[in-house]
Amino acid sequence: MNDKHIEMRSVRKVYRFFTLDDVSLELEPGQIMGFVGPNGAGKSTTLRLLMGMISPDAGEIRVLGHVMPKAQAVAKRDIGYVSAEMRLLPHATLGWHMNFMKSIYPEWDGGYAAALVKRFNLRIEQSARSLSMGEHVKATLLLALARRPKLLILDEPTTGLDPVARHEVISEFMDVLRDEGRSILFSSHNTVDVERISDRITFIDRGRVVESSDKEDFLERWRRIQVQLPHDAVLPMLPNIVKREIDGHFVTLITNQYSEGLKNLIGPYVTHVQRMNLEEIFVANVMHHREARGK
Amino acid sequence: MNVVTRKLIAKELYVNRWFIVGGSLSGIASIVIASVGKMGFNVGALTWLTTIIATGVMLALYGIMNERKEHALQFVLSLPLSIADYVGAKMLGLLLCFLAIWLVSSAAALVLVFGKESVPDGVAPYTVLLCVFMLANFAVVLCGAMHARSEALTSAVIVVTNMGVSIFMFTVGPMEGINKYMWGPTPMWNSTFWSVLGCELAVLAIALALPFFLAARRRDFL
Repeated sequence: MNDKHIEMRSVRKVYRFFTLDDVSLELEPGQIMGFVGPNGAGKSTTLRLLMGMISPDAGEIRVLGHVMPKAQAVAKRDIGYVSAEMRLLPHATLGWHMNFMKSIYPEWDGGYAAALVKRFNLRIEQSARSLSMGEHVKATLLLALARRPKLLILDEPTTGLDPVARHEVISEFMDVLRDEGRSILFSSHNTVDVERISDRITFIDRGRVVESSDKEDFLERWRRIQVQLPHDAVLPMLPNIVKREIDGHFVTLITNQYSEGLKNLIGPYVTHVQRMNLEEIFVANVMHHREARGK
Repeated sequence: MNVVTRKLIAKELYVNRWFIVGGSLSGIASIVIASVGKMGFNVGALTWLTTIIATGVMLALYGIMNERKEHALQFVLSLPLSIADYVGAKMLGLLLCFLAIWLVSSAAALVLVFGKESVPDGVAPYTVLLCVFMLANFAVVLCGAMHARSEALTSAVIVVTNMGVSIFMFTVGPMEGINKYMWGPTPMWNSTFWSVLGCELAVLAIALALPFFLAARRRDFL
């Protein structure tokens, strides 16, 4: 049980205007999980719970086998945490921060840190206050990555980065995962990044986990089916349809359990079966669950 | 004390190094001004008081409130430490920063009292009480900033503690056991002095200890 890097069981956190409810997550070593949700869905709250910065009102959290937040001081030795809104100490330089981290973490890899400074085009003599938003994110990533942590917890790490910087950062994530003992949990509302690098995806909306599965599983199951009905034909009752749009004789169906059997049920009227990208799946999934909850 | 706590204390001293130097120099300069005539004494005493009050307030504001406001707290809390470790490191780190300024300023004030002939040695007990009051005052501001989540509440603590300085002067200054000997040639370390000092040390101890029992046990620190 304790070899999982992250285990959250039925976690609940109540605020005055927001409740994170019954959240369960699991992350195995070597996995990269994309944690996707709209603004205010509870992504940052979940990651802060994992870091022990806030305590759950109910449920159990274990990170790298340690109970959180009780054992956070031990657990955080092997966790690299970066948040888009996190800032370094404004009056200290990047070089000072690097030395500071080196003095705390024995695993600090000076050579790798120097390489990242070069790759990210940062200057160690620059004070944190003078870094742009993108530089700040890259600097915090550098400080997290050069510690060679077992687990990276990243809260919207690519926010504020230009496409080139995003590519650089995501390449570094891929490098981290060359070591199979390491894992990454990263939250984002940018589904393009998530689709590129994640092997497992969890959708969260309005404080609840909507669905969690392997990326390939999502991409295989979800399909958009276009149907053109003859004048007097009616579609039969179909299972696993999450959305149905009708425009005259043209019907667009979205299913979360596509199979040849479903296609056969519709019959000869199917004109196209299209794969969906992660953003389309995410939006359809969230809207479907909102409707289901509304009922 | 673990290595992260030690490094964070060192961080406070490093980040505030120029502030400590500036505050200490200002404290010494105030006493130099106070040694030059009656007008100089009034101006110097006012500058000395302002230096100690302002440095205390600014250390608490920049060290705690701004760290939270500018999201640098997330960076610190991502380090391998518990909330109790953070509270301990922050309290000790900022206390050391203030102590450096306070010790220099207090020592300079006592040098003026005992070294300058025109200033009677009898004022020494009052000076010591004022210095310890300023230290306790800082501890209360620090304690307030550690617990308050809003700037408004921290500002309220600062206003109340600043008013405390005036209240101290109006209440302790006229006390018979203090006032009667203040302008005499020898300091009188009498029971009034020890009673007031005891109260100040009690406030100091409570203000420094409270965060370890309350803030350190807070369930949500962000």
